[in-house]
Amino acid sequence: MSVTINTKINGQPISASAEASTSLLEFLRDTLEMKGSKLCCNTGECGACTVIYNGRPINSCVTLAADANGAEITTIEGLADGDKLHPVQQAFIDTGAVQCGYCTPGYIISVKALLDRTTKPTAEDIEEAVSGNICRCTGYNKIVDAIHLAADRIAGRA
Amino acid sequence: MDYFEPKSLDEALSLLAKHGHEAKVIAGGTDVMVDIKYKEEPGCLVNIKKISGLGGIQENGGSLRIGSLATIRDVETSSLVRDKLPVLWESAHQFASLQIRNTATIGGNICRASPSGETLAPLLVLEAKGKLAFSEGEKTEPFMSFFQGPGKTSLGTKGLLTEIDVPFPAEGSRGVYLKHAVRGAMDIAMVGVAVLITPDAARNTLQDVRIGLGAVAPTPIRASKTEALLRGKSLTVALLKEAAAMAAAESSPISDQRSSGEYRRWIVEALTRRGLEQTWKAATGKEVA
Repeated sequence: MSVTINTKINGQPISASAEASTSLLEFLRDTLEMKGSKLCCNTGECGACTVIYNGRPINSCVTLAADANGAEITTIEGLADGDKLHPVQQAFIDTGAVQCGYCTPGYIISVKALLDRTTKPTAEDIEEAVSGNICRCTGYNKIVDAIHLAADRIAGRA
Repeated sequence: MDYFEPKSLDEALSLLAKHGHEAKVIAGGTDVMVDIKYKEEPGCLVNIKKISGLGGIQENGGSLRIGSLATIRDVETSSLVRDKLPVLWESAHQFASLQIRNTATIGGNICRASPSGETLAPLLVLEAKGKLAFSEGEKTEPFMSFFQGPGKTSLGTKGLLTEIDVPFPAEGSRGVYLKHAVRGAMDIAMVGVAVLITPDAARNTLQDVRIGLGAVAPTPIRASKTEALLRGKSLTVALLKEAAAMAAAESSPISDQRSSGEYRRWIVEALTRRGLEQTWKAATGKEVA
């Protein structure tokens, strides 16, 4: 059975149909051809598929696409303003918080959601915000550096 | 796969009555979506998230009423839960990732009836009750009798859990929830132990003791023999040792990819000892003598 989904993604109203069993991640990647959110564990453990759903970071792989109806969703594609990267994206580049890059969109979305809540995150806030994102390359230190740098830039401290 | 988004409880109940065994209820979806992708698609999916009035957390006399669609994050960030029900708060706080806590519902965690469900041992020691809706009417049932086996509850295939009523523990009581897992909160618990004690007025003996064990039996259980052993007594080193060993004996854990049954029993013993020690100190201000 097919369902019609009327949603807003990165500020754009979108209407499309999908099988009822489709996950939000499959809807983004396969129906809308938005490949920025990554498919990895597909069980809600690794965070590569993280999107912001009505202001909160969620795993799109374990969310029903039909739940996007009437919701506002932000994906990695919605962060840059033309050629100008979002401060979180720029901070990941400047601190070298990227290696293979597969987990990066999920991290950047989780960090954006954190910095939307506070621009003075504590060590505990940072750990909580990205504890659902797994990176197998960097060893996490540079990611934490990136989060501090992005927070400082957004708050005008750097 | 058929798909329904009932707007009212009545509509949802008649869909479940009509589609019965074929129907799967979905709320947050963090478990159901994994089943759909990795096991099999149900004949029909009933999404209950559009039903109004099933969320929220409110104080209601001497208890807290938690709507079944309240997310684990709602529970974790509720100051009422943190102040009045720290045992439940701890289990919500140690519940997977922020992304999952933002989506998963407390009703889903309960109705899934996984022995390792994070909130279940705390709800058992808090003597919480569920409000169950069927097309024939509503009933209230303590969670002590609600769980019937892995994935099986007294809701059967036709009922819905609408709210959870959690009485505030007695004045002077102290509780903890201890979880053992390899990767902290992200991991499914190998063992979860909830302890809630109330000392007598002079703070010399255990007037009430409740011990809940998760992930070590087909359902979450209370260690009732251990509780009976401790009730009315002062906590000594010898009694603590005996109680911890008894709690381990009351568990009947399986061996699986997360750990062996034997190891789980050792952990039940260690966490029960730790939980009793911590709550005794917090409630009486005394060391275990």
